[in-house]
Amino acid sequence: MSRLTAGDEARDVRLEKGSAELDGRTVRFREIRRGGALVALEIGGEVHPVRAVREGDRVFVACDGSTYEMRRGPAIAPGASRRGSAGEHGAGLLAPMPGRVRKTLVRRGERIAKGDVVLILEAMKMEHAIRAPRDGIVTKLDHHDGDLVEAGTVLAEIAADGT
Amino acid sequence: MIRRLLVANRGEIAVRVFRTAREMGIETVAVYAEDDASAVHSGRADRAVSLGAGPVSETYLSIPRILEAARASGADAVHPGYGFLSESPELARAVEERGLSWVGPPPSSIEEMADKLRARARMRAAGVPVVPGSDENARDDEALSSAAKEIGFPVLVKAAAGGGGKGMSRVEAASELPGALAEGRRIAAAAFGDDRVYLEKLLGRARHVEFQIFADRHGNTVHLFERECSVQRRHQKIVEETPSPALDAALRRAMGEAAVAAARSVEYVGAGTIEFLLDSERRFYFLEMNTRLQVEHPITEATLGLDLVRWQLEVAGGAALPVTWRSEGLAPRGHAIEMRLYAEDPVDFLPRSGSLEEWIEPAGPGVRVDSGFERGSVVGVEYDPLLAKLVVHAADRPAAIERALRALSEWVVLGVETNRPLLEAALCSAEFRSGDYATDLVARLPRRESGAPSDAAWIAAALSFAEKAAGTAVVAGPADPWGTANGWRS
Repeated sequence: MSRLTAGDEARDVRLEKGSAELDGRTVRFREIRRGGALVALEIGGEVHPVRAVREGDRVFVACDGSTYEMRRGPAIAPGASRRGSAGEHGAGLLAPMPGRVRKTLVRRGERIAKGDVVLILEAMKMEHAIRAPRDGIVTKLDHHDGDLVEAGTVLAEIAADGT
Repeated sequence: MIRRLLVANRGEIAVRVFRTAREMGIETVAVYAEDDASAVHSGRADRAVSLGAGPVSETYLSIPRILEAARASGADAVHPGYGFLSESPELARAVEERGLSWVGPPPSSIEEMADKLRARARMRAAGVPVVPGSDENARDDEALSSAAKEIGFPVLVKAAAGGGGKGMSRVEAASELPGALAEGRRIAAAAFGDDRVYLEKLLGRARHVEFQIFADRHGNTVHLFERECSVQRRHQKIVEETPSPALDAALRRAMGEAAVAAARSVEYVGAGTIEFLLDSERRFYFLEMNTRLQVEHPITEATLGLDLVRWQLEVAGGAALPVTWRSEGLAPRGHAIEMRLYAEDPVDFLPRSGSLEEWIEPAGPGVRVDSGFERGSVVGVEYDPLLAKLVVHAADRPAAIERALRALSEWVVLGVETNRPLLEAALCSAEFRSGDYATDLVARLPRRESGAPSDAAWIAAALSFAEKAAGTAVVAGPADPWGTANGWRS
């Protein structure tokens, strides 16, 4: 039995030979493979073309004209969506995408206000202003102009005022 | 005639130009940056020349390296594609000075149109209406502020040397103007080496309609009808169609004549595009001219049944435009739609990178895919996130929309997130289908949830997780042929 998630959706899935249990409901299926790779599933007489590519605990699935990113393990906590502009992680400001630090506009120790531009991140020909999510003091700022950063890198940390 | 053509570009546009050149019996030369050596385009030419390593400014944007590649490969012509150096008068001039053919307009035409302030003044002189805005004399904050008051908010801050939406911002009120001007100047200086900015009135619910123009060296300038480009996000087009649902015969004639007048005023040669804004009262205004081939040129090719790249190469070789074009003997047939597939988040539009683990392109009747990627390609952060263009052609607009949705549903892309859900949402929307839409369409789209995966999708995911574990066991087991190869692989 494993717990699979896709965004806010989740299912407990148990595989048996020729059938699967989805949240306790039994679904009979037949695998159609080409050269060992799964290309379609037949369920109740209907053929659904599928493609699946796995990377660690993630699997990308294309099925019936839609694409899903699915994960194994517990659902991502609500509110921890990776969408939105710059992400936050504790006091840290995360890079929302891989890119290059174009210009840093604050200094360590500086007091900044919510909405201030902390730095400009350039990715794929576009510039993105990374703004402070709250008032506070810049306590960490490790990257220099021109540095390449991966998505999710902590770009800066901002400690709440007075702490 | 051109004998050997170097394409100073990458991705789908390089591949597209190679295809036509090959049909014309012209040898092809690709260029590539070292970090891009495995890109699809470099394998689609007769030969490929390295531009060396380094950031884009030292590879695809380096005039000396492009010229050296042309010399080393014995090319006698250079096609710049779009983006990169396509609108660089310096490259155009350097290519011509070396006795090579430049597949583009004269450097002087590029210069006249590249300076948006000068272009606006020239269009006014040629009798072509321009969007109300500040003029060349308004330089400092004070002059621009009083110009803004005269024009009326909201206004757009634009870079005089700009294009493609870079350095552009929307200003709602006078209090926001100084900050927006400073930010605009900073971005403009960094991107274009020219910090001049100007203001344009933001037209409410405007449409973006452009005209393809073509001119030869024998004094012939024609238009090849319009493209409707109002489906945009971040001021960049994602869906284009032709004919535009907004034009009738009279408006099409008036805009076409203005487009030809605009091109003639800068003694244009080759393929170019005049972009217009069309307001809700059906008044049109010159926006800018793109002095190169457009990304969306294939929809014009579809409805007119011609190859624009072929005629770029013919004109560069000295040929005159066909008589049928000059005598207005062309008539568009049916309806064509282009959709741009970007590696990006469909909701917040941020670029995505990664490796294309699976890639199956749509096909079938009336479908064309211009792509610079294939299975296994890496989508990096250094280059444009455009993966491919899907172009459909059908008898009429409703049939073209259905064909577009059918083709989009065939597209399998795994490993990198794309804007396909956004493209589908735009094409499905009642507003798009009615034909009565404007540049605010994407912002007005209902937020679409992708919905729960089907049973088949859950089972495929579970099988995939189960399979990989089994696969690992097989590799380690004695039945694995590699395992018996006496350890040289272990």
